[in-house]
Amino acid sequence: MTRSHRLAAAALAVLLALPATAQDAEKTLYFYNWTDYYPVELLAKFEAETGIKVILDGFDSNDTLLAKLQSGGAAYDVIVPSDYVIPGMIADGLLMKIDTNAMENYVHMKDAFKNPDFDPTHEYTAPYLWGVTGLAYDSAQVEGGVLEPSWKEYFEPRPELEGKIAALDTASDVILAASLYLGIPQCTESNDDAKRILELLEAQKPKLKLYSSDSTVDRLASGEVALHHVWNGATARATAQRDTIRFLYPAEGTPMFRDNFAVPANAPHPENAKIFINWMMKPENAAAVSNAIAYGNAIKSDEFLSDQWRAMEAINMPEEYSGRLVPTQDCGPAARELRDKIWTRLKG
Amino acid sequence: MNIRRFPLTREVSLFVLVYLYLPVFVLIGYSFNANRTATVWTHASLDWYVRILNNPSIRAATWNSLVLAVSAATAATVIALLAALATRRAFPGRNASETLLRLPLILPEIVVAVATLILFVAVGIELGLGAMILAHTVFCIPFAYLPIRARLEGISGSYEEAAQDLYANRFRTFRRVTLPLLWPGVLAGFTLAFVTSLDDFLTSFFLSGPGTTTLPVYIFSAIRAGITPEINAISTVMLVISILLVSLSFALTRLRR
Repeated sequence: MTRSHRLAAAALAVLLALPATAQDAEKTLYFYNWTDYYPVELLAKFEAETGIKVILDGFDSNDTLLAKLQSGGAAYDVIVPSDYVIPGMIADGLLMKIDTNAMENYVHMKDAFKNPDFDPTHEYTAPYLWGVTGLAYDSAQVEGGVLEPSWKEYFEPRPELEGKIAALDTASDVILAASLYLGIPQCTESNDDAKRILELLEAQKPKLKLYSSDSTVDRLASGEVALHHVWNGATARATAQRDTIRFLYPAEGTPMFRDNFAVPANAPHPENAKIFINWMMKPENAAAVSNAIAYGNAIKSDEFLSDQWRAMEAINMPEEYSGRLVPTQDCGPAARELRDKIWTRLKG
Repeated sequence: MNIRRFPLTREVSLFVLVYLYLPVFVLIGYSFNANRTATVWTHASLDWYVRILNNPSIRAATWNSLVLAVSAATAATVIALLAALATRRAFPGRNASETLLRLPLILPEIVVAVATLILFVAVGIELGLGAMILAHTVFCIPFAYLPIRARLEGISGSYEEAAQDLYANRFRTFRRVTLPLLWPGVLAGFTLAFVTSLDDFLTSFFLSGPGTTTLPVYIFSAIRAGITPEINAISTVMLVISILLVSLSFALTRLRR
């Protein structure tokens, strides 16, 4: 090999290697995620493999995230918005185009997640974790040990369960569940619909033990209630402590949330952000998150999922239930106002 | 009539003390609870303290809070000391200056926080630790100023006159006479400013940038996932830092006398 050959080869190697290893000069990544929604051990693994140091900050709601982005002063590289806020963010020019669909590990994404309504060809986002709000029950406290997969069990419970039911204390979750049961569109602006929802909830209220969105895992694990309106992840963690707990995906519609990675338009290290997002689509890394946080991911990673989660329907949803999933919509102000009115009347 | 002889004084004081401190004691108590639920006692354990020690997010937040509080309190104390010396003698606009210095105590913090955010973004100051130190310094100034000013009020001018009679120049007078006399006030001012900065949530919430989450901001966003004894443990640690600091400054003041 002559000298010029070697040079050419080296240049070629550099050129070939570039797209994969293109990195921002500064080996830092500012990661803004929901608090306690990412296993920190995994960040150490990412740093060891790529040399990029991740600085993690937490937020408490999509509203906080939006406020931080819209003020324009804080520069994060990777953020984790929920499905329904993404179209607005794209329209406002807050997100950078990252072409997830062209990334190396995109092939690992499950087909069911490939064309989401909020970002149809995955130009701006990549899926992180997703979950549903359904019903968890303690089969040991139910006669026969089985409940129907229907919201009826919760809104018009069997007499034996009365007083042993917990509801979430969040207006949007409670009213959405009632709407699905009654077949009312989730962003209804009709007063008649609102009246029917309120009547259903008021009739249910005396049969509940309490409304609470806190400590749901403990409440289920201790057997304090027999039926809980709750997230699948919390159910899985409770099942790990009390193995008689089961999860239901109500057939009338099971509300689903999908959290996603995205890169803000003003991100200081966009190349590192893309490296991170691509890295997170690697099956073993996606599974590591699910194993630690107890929510499902969108990557074909089932073989890396720990056995305890794989055995649970709450995390490892059977394919045939996918038709029951209903994405959460971002309702307009009139629908939100109506929702607040129902809630105030119910709780007041 | 002595206030102690007033009817019901003892009962009312007791009620106020219990009302103020009972929640704090309950919070501390449950931080040693082995159970995950913050309200059901099972048995004593230090698990939650071990967990917060091993949580890198909490460690980083604690470090950020301390760096921020030390920087802001130091800057605020220096400014407050100079301001207190300047407003000692009458000059046109003295009242206005003093009111300005105290303004952060009266202004609603949310207004100042939002205004600062808008200003910083407009001028192009990147949100983060620098921006937070600037903003914290501003609202810490009155907390440092008031004790220094009060102390200065109690120092007779004759000491300084005597020093100057003995041919000490103004700087030497300040260093050898005024500052030592003022020291307890300066320490008290620094401590107050430090504690104010340490527990501030609003301003930090608005101005924090990547990697600068402080403890109060962390606690706020962690509550989303439910109130666990972890929150009690962090709060207890913050309380201990504050109490230690106040005791330290109290002890130092006593020592000086």
